[in-house]
Amino acid sequence: MLFHRRRGWEIPERLATPESVVVSRRGLGIAAGAGLLAAAGPARAQWPFSAAKVVEAPRAPLVSTKNEKFTPGRALTDEAEATSYNNFYEFGMSKSVIAAAQALKPDPWSVEFAGMTGKPGKIGLEDILKRVSLEERVYRHRCVEAWAMTVPWVGFPLSELVKMGEPKAGTKYVVFTTLADDKTMPGLHQSFYPWPYTEGVTMAEAGNDLSFIAVGMYGKTLPKQNGAPMRLVLPWKYGFKSAKSIVKVTFTDKRPVSFWEALQDSEYGFWANVNPEVPHPRWSQARERLLGSDEMVKTQIWNGYGEFVAAMYDDLKKERLFA
Amino acid sequence: MPQALIAFLTPWRDPAGRFSWLKTAVVLLALFPAVELALGAWFHALGGRPITEATHISGDWIIRFLLLSLAVTPARAVLNWPRVIILRRLLGVTAACYAVLHLGLYIYDQKWNLIVVASEIVLRVYLLIGFIALLGFAVLAITSTDGWQRRLRTRWKKLHRLVFPISVLTMLHFYMQSKVNVGDAVIYSGFLFWLLLWRALPRRWQPRLAALPALAIGAALLTAAAETLWYGTATKIPALRVLAANLGPDPRPAAYVLLAGLAVLGLALLRRLRRPRLARAI
Repeated sequence: MLFHRRRGWEIPERLATPESVVVSRRGLGIAAGAGLLAAAGPARAQWPFSAAKVVEAPRAPLVSTKNEKFTPGRALTDEAEATSYNNFYEFGMSKSVIAAAQALKPDPWSVEFAGMTGKPGKIGLEDILKRVSLEERVYRHRCVEAWAMTVPWVGFPLSELVKMGEPKAGTKYVVFTTLADDKTMPGLHQSFYPWPYTEGVTMAEAGNDLSFIAVGMYGKTLPKQNGAPMRLVLPWKYGFKSAKSIVKVTFTDKRPVSFWEALQDSEYGFWANVNPEVPHPRWSQARERLLGSDEMVKTQIWNGYGEFVAAMYDDLKKERLFA
Repeated sequence: MPQALIAFLTPWRDPAGRFSWLKTAVVLLALFPAVELALGAWFHALGGRPITEATHISGDWIIRFLLLSLAVTPARAVLNWPRVIILRRLLGVTAACYAVLHLGLYIYDQKWNLIVVASEIVLRVYLLIGFIALLGFAVLAITSTDGWQRRLRTRWKKLHRLVFPISVLTMLHFYMQSKVNVGDAVIYSGFLFWLLLWRALPRRWQPRLAALPALAIGAALLTAAAETLWYGTATKIPALRVLAANLGPDPRPAAYVLLAGLAVLGLALLRRLRRPRLARAI
């Protein structure tokens, strides 16, 4: 039998600083040496030869109360990982959109209510924030690409935003539109894509306890690449349903065709509820990889949030709920 | 030590066994992606899913080396550069090596669970296609030695023409693994179109300068057609909008392919200016 005697300088693996943190410290060192640190947020793991370091705008701390109702049952994803591996097609097709996303201007920001609303027109984000109290919720986030992260979001229930928009009787769907600014968003040059990014949910889904509008993560405002200054979070659905950088909320009685559905409905449908039994046409959804640790874990139906959401779909069994 | 192994271990030597700068340069190029990946892994510069990223990077390099290996024969004729032929085997074997690494990374990414790997390969058509291409790569790399060339005689050339269907399968795998956006795949397939079109030319036209503008335009048109067809059939994007985008201001795959084709024309012209005797071959 092999014994491993721990030497004085060794610590157990679980106490070790996550690699990414170490790397970002190294990045900080390099950035500091280059005199770039003036107002830098955490510098990230970077290709050591890359000339341009990404300098992120500092993110303001947010005061919130912890909502412990939805325990994730998993370790938090390291902040550096959750904020550097992003799908944000307006800023590019790769996962490394941080640099490009810095062009986003989240302040000032306003959201327009449209469609079957009693309050048509724009409302400033600061006015929205005056009318809600911020809470922190830790959610599991499952991407359709079979990776996952666990994120402490700061925000407020989507139902409050819907209330502010005063939807008229007969409203069946809420549609979210992402900013589409071709001066700052190079992705929009892909002219045959159905810009702007839109996503939609039913009124029932919008009113669900879990549906959340995030204005921050990890105790600070949202990073640009994660959809600053406000985004949707629907943890029982694949990530693409959770629209980023929302500029418009439309109430309608017609089912919207969302961005990805318009591109390829066979792979990315309207409902897109997480289900390990229903594979994506090109890969299995049975398991997911956790960002950072690269651990593979089993995917759960409704991403494990069945007790909160499954009942909404009792009468919708004929729909393609899981793609 | 067998001859083939010596040749494999001393890739910087030409067939006559002398040191060659040309081959050395290509050996360094062949090692570059491996170094890039090793450093990327070491410095944690591969992002949140490093193995997936490494798999993609290795895949890109398979395509690049494959296309380079297919470009050797045209380069020999178009640029009247006989010596370039000593690079063909090296480039092909390099592509095959990265194909093996590509599969290895995928298996590693699946935590060495060979049952999952096998079932995924069978269940996902694009993986099956990639796997068949990989088997082809392996067969061609193994039979690439002088020994096998002698043993197979005339059949060797026939066997190694398999590189064309393998290229098509490789490209198809590239298209199919893309998430809606096939931009990169379209550009590389455009280069493949050029290389295949050149081979379809009548033999006496192959070395001629006058063929090159037509090739450049032909490859670009095929690129636009392939892109339109792909989006039109594999996605819900209206095909006409894809085609129309080629008339817009933004750089499109077909434009890149056209530029590359014109660059070949430029190189060929330069070569003829420096060696006027070649100019007769216009």
